[in-house]
Amino acid sequence: MISLYLGQQSWLHRRPAGLKLLSLAAISIGLYFVSHPFWMLAALLAVLALYASVGRQALRQLRLLRPLLFLFAIMFLVQWWSVGLAAGLTLVLRMSTLVLLANLITLTTRMDAMMSAITPLLLPLRLVGTDPARIAFAVALVIRFIPVLLAQLHGLKEAWTVRGGGRQVWRLAIPMTIQAIRMSDHVAEALAARGGIQTSPGHATHSSRSHSSAKESHSEG
Amino acid sequence: MKDKSLVQIALYAALVAALGFIPPVPFAFGVPITAQTLGVMLAGVMLGPWRGALSMLLLVFVVSLGAPLLAGGRGGLGVLAGPTVGFFLGWPVAAFFAGLVAQKLQRLPLLAATAIGAFTGGILVLYICGIIGFKLVTGNNWANSTLTMAVFIPGDLIKVAITCLVAQAVYKGLPGAVATRQP
Amino acid sequence: MSTASPVIELDQVSLSRDGVQVLTELSLRLDQSRIGLIGHNGSGKSSLVRLLNGLLPSDTGRVSVHGQDPGRGPEAMAATVGFIFQNPDHQLIFPTVIEELTFGLRNQGCSVSGATEQALALLRAHGHEDWAERPVHSLSEGQKQLVCIFAVLLLEPGLLILDEPFSALDLPTRFRLLELLHGLPQQILMISHELDTLADFDRLIWLEDGRVRADGTPDTVLSAYQADARERARSLRLGRMQPQASEA
Repeated sequence: MISLYLGQQSWLHRRPAGLKLLSLAAISIGLYFVSHPFWMLAALLAVLALYASVGRQALRQLRLLRPLLFLFAIMFLVQWWSVGLAAGLTLVLRMSTLVLLANLITLTTRMDAMMSAITPLLLPLRLVGTDPARIAFAVALVIRFIPVLLAQLHGLKEAWTVRGGGRQVWRLAIPMTIQAIRMSDHVAEALAARGGIQTSPGHATHSSRSHSSAKESHSEG
Repeated sequence: MKDKSLVQIALYAALVAALGFIPPVPFAFGVPITAQTLGVMLAGVMLGPWRGALSMLLLVFVVSLGAPLLAGGRGGLGVLAGPTVGFFLGWPVAAFFAGLVAQKLQRLPLLAATAIGAFTGGILVLYICGIIGFKLVTGNNWANSTLTMAVFIPGDLIKVAITCLVAQAVYKGLPGAVATRQP
Repeated sequence: MSTASPVIELDQVSLSRDGVQVLTELSLRLDQSRIGLIGHNGSGKSSLVRLLNGLLPSDTGRVSVHGQDPGRGPEAMAATVGFIFQNPDHQLIFPTVIEELTFGLRNQGCSVSGATEQALALLRAHGHEDWAERPVHSLSEGQKQLVCIFAVLLLEPGLLILDEPFSALDLPTRFRLLELLHGLPQQILMISHELDTLADFDRLIWLEDGRVRADGTPDTVLSAYQADARERARSLRLGRMQPQASEA
């Protein structure tokens, strides 16, 4: 299963998902009222202490901030230039704190626990004829497709390199997309041959109707 | 096969995720560009507005649950708290408009319709969402927000071009797979 | 297992896909237990088997599979026809083996615990109870194909259709799978390019251009098929050399 979730146990793991989500929301809003860089730094250090209390594995996940560093640098420069140094520091510190805190919830909450915590939010979808069972199935399909697509991409990249390759790697997007579409055709076929997706009683006709009304696309030989 | 649409919706969500595993290419002046928005534009053009939007909504859902599927292994609630949240939540909207415009322009040649569609959805609409999100999260003013985000636009123009070439190639081989070209 | 008589009947069936005629006025009555389907690429084999479980609807003619009409669609045929595809990666959907195995049962209205129990019993019967919690992507190609077959067997279909099930498997795995198939009570219809796997079958049908070219026991049909393939190979080679010769 592809997830950021850390398999170990900690005090934060044992808190209910709903409580963690609510606390996160409250703290995030609270942080917007902090405007001095010193207090913002204190908040960041407090979050780092939380990471440390969960364990070494959690501290290692601080690297999740790395992809954002470039953007943070631009944000800091623009803010410094237009408002001032203190404002620039506060902004970047607040962003880091928010992102790290939210990540910490993800690291310590299992995906299915998160899903059941937010399922009540999905209930309105029933009104438009979408069965939550279909959503759960779609999530499973996405998780299932990713490693297969990555293997395809890897295979294409290898063949590209062996044949001399070159810098225009983007060309691989074409065979990649075509292979992906063919795969989804096969999967749809296999799914139908195994009886299709189960729908909860009373929903079967409605949801199947709403999906078959979308244009049936190509058949492929 | 009544579940075919659902499978296709999941496929494009997974495709955008898979594109995130390609290491970001440093473009002009070191601005990193990722391949993911290419997938967002493709989802709109290939699946059409509604299914394209649903597909991206599904990805937003999976990522928010904690799957590290954004470029650089990002995922979870941190994305929703971060400065790029507007872009992330803008993906369904972008795919919708890319699909809608490409479909409305069906009379134009495929390359033109796809280019205008991908540009409208993947750049115009997406940057509006992205800048609004950035402004709300960071508390910056409009000018600063726009300025900060503008550095990513050249890279995204390249992705519009690639979207067109992919759509054209797929249409040649599997004409039924490009929903925005169906009568 | 379905109680209807294990007979597949096709009466004057024609089918075209994307404007190309793939099956032409095909009439067959299949009541043997082990039936092989051979033919060159594009001969209509895949279309024929997809017709039998409703993945493709026929244009004209009548089809009946164990008393059922495939025109009702593949979802409705799932309890009658088990279908094994060439590439297990296309068929396996769930992250773990147990979820994969219980999927079809739950579609038939089975409870989670009931489905799990049946799936575990089947794994146990084949000596693989340790597979239940294993991630599907950690299995070898042969093991994946076996999981596909288990998943289908749990639905107790009367007919098992296999579309080139051996193409990704090494020789020992192929023998193991073949042995397993021969021990099953189901009627089996199998497409294969590995002709040796069909040697013990009751009946072979050789399709060409959407019609039956030959129909009989393996020893008669296989030798004729191989002779024809060699003949074709010769003409393919000539066909490629001719333009070169004219250039020279």
